[in-house]
Amino acid sequence: MKLSVLSPLSALTLLTFAMTTQAAPTVTRLSPPSELFSSGQAAPIIARFLPGQRFDLQATLRPDDAAKSISSARFAIDGKAVNANVALKVCETACLKGVPANATLASVRAVSVDKPGVHQLSVTATQSDGQTVTAHGNFEIVPLVPGGQKVKNIIILLGDGMGAAQRTAARIVAGGYAQGKVIAPLAMDTFPVTGLVKTASLNSVITDSAPGMTAYVSGNKNNNNEEGVFPDDTTDPFDNPRIEYLSEYLHRTQGKALGLVTTADVFDATPAGNAVHTSSRGAGTGIVDQFLDDRHLTGLTVLMGGGRKWFMPSTTPGSARGDRTDYAFSATDVHTADIVKRWGAAAGALDKDRDLLGDFQRAGFQYASDKTSMDAIDIDKAERLLGLFAHSNMNVALDKIDGRRNKARGVNGRVVDDYGFPDQPMLDEMTAKALRVLDRQKKGFVLMVEGASIDKQAHAMDTERWMLDTLEFDRAVALAQAYAAQHQDTLVIVTADHECAGVALIGGSKVSDARLQALVREGGGTALRDAVVGVYEQAGFPKYRIATDGYPDTVDIDNRLLVGYGANADRMEDFRTNERPLQDSQQPFVKKEPLAAYPAGPMARDADGKYMVTGQVPGDSAVHTATDIPLSAFGPGAYSFTGVIDNTDVFFKLAQAATRGVVLPVGLMGTARK
Amino acid sequence: MSIFRIWGRAAPRCLRLTATLLCSACFAASALAQVLQLAPVAPVAEAEEAPALSLQDFFQKPVGPQGLLISDRLRQANGKVVRLTGYVVQQEIATVGRFLLTPRPVLMSQHADGEADDLPPATVFVRLSEDQQDWAVAQTRGLVELTGTLEVGRQEERDGRVSWFRLQLAPEAIRGMTRFELTQYLHSLQHAH
Repeated sequence: MKLSVLSPLSALTLLTFAMTTQAAPTVTRLSPPSELFSSGQAAPIIARFLPGQRFDLQATLRPDDAAKSISSARFAIDGKAVNANVALKVCETACLKGVPANATLASVRAVSVDKPGVHQLSVTATQSDGQTVTAHGNFEIVPLVPGGQKVKNIIILLGDGMGAAQRTAARIVAGGYAQGKVIAPLAMDTFPVTGLVKTASLNSVITDSAPGMTAYVSGNKNNNNEEGVFPDDTTDPFDNPRIEYLSEYLHRTQGKALGLVTTADVFDATPAGNAVHTSSRGAGTGIVDQFLDDRHLTGLTVLMGGGRKWFMPSTTPGSARGDRTDYAFSATDVHTADIVKRWGAAAGALDKDRDLLGDFQRAGFQYASDKTSMDAIDIDKAERLLGLFAHSNMNVALDKIDGRRNKARGVNGRVVDDYGFPDQPMLDEMTAKALRVLDRQKKGFVLMVEGASIDKQAHAMDTERWMLDTLEFDRAVALAQAYAAQHQDTLVIVTADHECAGVALIGGSKVSDARLQALVREGGGTALRDAVVGVYEQAGFPKYRIATDGYPDTVDIDNRLLVGYGANADRMEDFRTNERPLQDSQQPFVKKEPLAAYPAGPMARDADGKYMVTGQVPGDSAVHTATDIPLSAFGPGAYSFTGVIDNTDVFFKLAQAATRGVVLPVGLMGTARK
Repeated sequence: MSIFRIWGRAAPRCLRLTATLLCSACFAASALAQVLQLAPVAPVAEAEEAPALSLQDFFQKPVGPQGLLISDRLRQANGKVVRLTGYVVQQEIATVGRFLLTPRPVLMSQHADGEADDLPPATVFVRLSEDQQDWAVAQTRGLVELTGTLEVGRQEERDGRVSWFRLQLAPEAIRGMTRFELTQYLHSLQHAH
């Protein structure tokens, strides 16, 4: 909305007009978000917090005229004024497109409320001409009640994109069936309680990994791409209203430590969504800096995964650090200075030349760059642990195992060799080390372990790669379960942020792998599909042979499991494992220039004997779906996780268990508590 | 020499003999070219091909505990015309004016993953020439050989990514598809070869 500067006469005219039509300043956003503010309905409650959990209050206020300004603002909870200075920030050029330059943000950082129940939040703003405006919202403080056994350690195992179909596929591959009965269940199948989780984000039924994680560990819905913050109107991704994480809350109130283990780049949304507050999940430099600089808030003790490119100074080849993805809070602008002052957060700096790896080591983190160096660390002496095993994401299980098997045969030049990281640990190996370090934490710990490429490979519709990543993930689940069985004050949950790709187990191959290859050579199209896809009883029980390393000796078996995708993009299907292509020097057929190009428009795809599956979604990747996902729980308080629950409910169950002890959910046995 | 008209504009000339899958799909266009030319096309600069540089040789492998150690070969090739062979990265959101080249095929789901990607460290940002900046290269499967000027060093790209290896292509490296070719190509996808 653009208002030009007015001459006195036209200003008078406008003022007259305004008085006639009663223009007034407006409140266009109130955080925490609420239906009461958005639509006037008191329910459902959108924002919920624990007693004492910290969060920011913020409002966007718009004067009714370009010549006016907001002179003051104050917040009130249940009619009582919030006793803190309100930081005002005039937008100027710092706000999103469409927000006028004189719009003003009013913030109070790091407030908390102890009294349980629904509370009314109000903001009253005064315009430079004396007019005022008041808006109302609400939020809820969820009570903590006296419970039974207190949980000391929480382990959240998150299979990114892992829906029910992904789990079933992994079970078929890993465990096998005999006349309809499972021979060897997955570890996650043996957890005593499983519920269904609703995964919608603050702004869509289809979430992504950022709000998909933060709902579990902040108790609140976030917008897609945002983590640990509510949306605001500025372009700065680090100044958003914050919500205290489970890790921060338990570290602050109990001294618990935080561990993050992932197969993704550690800056990625799932690990970052436990410790970092930003509205841009892609702001890599700032995110990894915040891991270290705010460890006194989160208790970060273990960080393992890929993403070494963010930890090197920008002068080192391969470094991805840059000012565009970094942050620095101004000491003079109270809007961000208050984040530092009231949260105790680090101010940050535009420091692309920072040697972050060196800083981690100087802060007492033992550093592992590969499996060998990880194993060489005296794990019983290591107080803190940093593992950076790849440039960005780690290679997937199928390729890591392939590298190990070939190395044992003396063969190099596999995928992991080409990437330059031939000795990457498996997720269960990383988890084992993390548990050894965290076990020594006297006050307990929160550990998040992510099987990241279940999702990434489902996006690529690469069936074999996500199936094996699910197997890898389940091996980490087994370790966590064994730990919890030994340390009976440990609560373990296995969950997902969302489902990916609409995976459907459609049947089994009617043909042997050799015949399948011959059919592909003969040419694809629906003839291939009709010859191969065995439905109903034609599917039988696909049988994969598991090698001693715990993974199938091959995934290209006769009568293999067949997977379709409900949220797929256009793709060419031949039902075989996507090739591990030869190195360039070994490939006989190389296309030379010129390459075909076109003005940006529809894509053409290559064929090669496959048949074209028309996608339901545009682009090249399958997408997330809105389908509920299963969550399985083990340990004290596991019974709390049954039913169809919201992902934000999980946070309150975990917090209850870790603070006042486990409670039976209402209706489970007719009583509210043990 | 054959000349292709693309979308109402004269296209860059085809200077080299090619054996691409795409040319086989546009046999009719080739037939027309045969009629127009009197002799087999000979490459203009037949004398010297640019030296080949392997993506495997960009840096010391395995990567040590820190960052990449650029190889001497790569350092010496900085600023020079080289031949690279690799795979065109399949991007969910196609970028115009550039594409990525890697030693292994990679699919990028940018919407979901952003910079938490599966790109190997030896990823080359290949740039189309100045007046081709609004063109997108069709997804080309299989190995591709490219000739261009190599650039080694840190640069921030338009989208915020940091690139370390870049290849600047000459206009001749890109050939716009005719409407007919594109139709033929899409048609060929549904039938066995």
